[in-house]
Amino acid sequence: MKNLLLCWGGDWDLPSVHTDSLIVLAYAKFSGAKLAVKSIDWTWRTITASVPQLHYEASTVTEPTQILNFLRKQRFNADYELTAKQGADTMAYIALLEEKLRPALLHTFWVDADNYANLTRPWFTSHSPFPLNFFVPGRQASLALSRILLTKAESPLLNITEVEGKIYSEAKECLNLLSHRLGNFHFFFGDTPTSLDAFVFGHIAPLIKAPLPSGQLQKHLNQLDNLCQFCNTILKNYFNASAEKRTDCSPTAIHDPVDANLQKLTQLVNKESNLIEKMDDNLRSSPQHRPNSTPPS
Amino acid sequence: MSLAAEAFVSQIAAAEPWPEKATLYQPLKEDQILLSDSASSLAVQTFLRMCGLPVQVSCCANAEYMSPSGKVPFIHVGNQVVSELGPIVQFIKAKGHSLSDGLDDVQRAEMKAYMELVNNMLLTAELYIQWCDDYTATEISRPRYSSPYSWPLNHILAYQKQWEVRRKMNAIGWSGKNLEQVYEDVSQCCQALSQRLGTQPYFFNKQPTELDALVFGHLFTILTTQLTNDELAEKVKSYTNLLSFCHRIEQTYFKEDKGSRSV
Repeated sequence: MKNLLLCWGGDWDLPSVHTDSLIVLAYAKFSGAKLAVKSIDWTWRTITASVPQLHYEASTVTEPTQILNFLRKQRFNADYELTAKQGADTMAYIALLEEKLRPALLHTFWVDADNYANLTRPWFTSHSPFPLNFFVPGRQASLALSRILLTKAESPLLNITEVEGKIYSEAKECLNLLSHRLGNFHFFFGDTPTSLDAFVFGHIAPLIKAPLPSGQLQKHLNQLDNLCQFCNTILKNYFNASAEKRTDCSPTAIHDPVDANLQKLTQLVNKESNLIEKMDDNLRSSPQHRPNSTPPS
Repeated sequence: MSLAAEAFVSQIAAAEPWPEKATLYQPLKEDQILLSDSASSLAVQTFLRMCGLPVQVSCCANAEYMSPSGKVPFIHVGNQVVSELGPIVQFIKAKGHSLSDGLDDVQRAEMKAYMELVNNMLLTAELYIQWCDDYTATEISRPRYSSPYSWPLNHILAYQKQWEVRRKMNAIGWSGKNLEQVYEDVSQCCQALSQRLGTQPYFFNKQPTELDALVFGHLFTILTTQLTNDELAEKVKSYTNLLSFCHRIEQTYFKEDKGSRSV
């Protein structure tokens, strides 16, 4: 089965620095899909391809939502345990991420002068072949700027500085809402990750890991412990912790379904043992045993 | 205006009670207003009725240009002008009326997420159908949008608006979609809303919130507006609990207007 995923390369402990690529990579791991990952760094695809791009047998699919739908049809479904309402919630939260968080992420990486000059442009320049390295970052930056202005700027104020305050405050609110929703759980819908987890991971992982010179949003995110923990858990369990250059057919891809099953089993066993412990506590605190028991803490 | 100035102004606004002569401005109802603007306007009107705040609806041809953000509808209360549902909800909250106080943090997060879903999918789909579908744009949108103006201004304004909307669609990646995919997206959005609503009377059980107002505004307008074909309305009609939701809100809050509209 010939399958190939094209995406931007990785850095800063992440498998990819590009949000959409991360979403697809994370979902592939969660659902156990075996994908050969090829990075487009240093190739002409940096300017010609719309990334991420999945080549599966004869067909080509782009855009994270389309790719996830396609993988689901191929029976790599990380959402099969969700109820109908949870599926609806997934759509709603993804819309929230796109509307409220993405503009600020685009601004932080591509429009903010400090970050762009010191981090984003050098990175993309060094990962593009000559002579594309002159064009690729500038093109991405202007796309980002026009997206922000067209969707967020109110028509008499087509000036980026006035929009900045609004998009950052909306993004901080969005992060707070995500943090409230996640609470103390490992993932958004219980103990196994789903497509919503992939989307959230794709958006916040670059923000947590990138060494941004000027990152007010990053500082805000670092205060939300549960989101940082969420991101690190996924990196530790589903991706190797150290950054590796991904080329064709990475060998870890084969082990992943086994690891995922093992993980599910481990979680089930943990749940069982928690239940048994609770039953044990209940028994110990029941009337017959009251003189001997200590109250549960 | 900067965020600090806005906060200061809304503090002042909060001190005044709701006046008798609050007005809501929208484009002309019969000839000019389009599906997306009509939906937004109805959502705001529903929200105000749910809060029990009286408002007069005033139709003006240049409502879009009077609005501080360029979008309709906007309300004129005392000496404040506020446009779009989001800022209006915050403004009314500053005055002490709120529909979502009873929600806890997780529910509020869900409510905001669903409102973004409606804005992201339904509103964008409405704009796409109106302006990016050539047939609808030529037959309905451009003539209606430019009806109050004389030649050559009507052509210029209509094409300018179309160009603006197409640029926006391009930026968010919708220009590659065809009409079938857009209808499919609307259907998925309605399915999500239908599943979230279930058998409850409102989205957050007994009490209506701004989410209910927003969903009602969009769905009711889709159901009652005549487009070049009925496919959009059919997509919504296939979800019976959404139909009965619209009916219920219309009965509860728009009783006196019953003669002029029907689902």
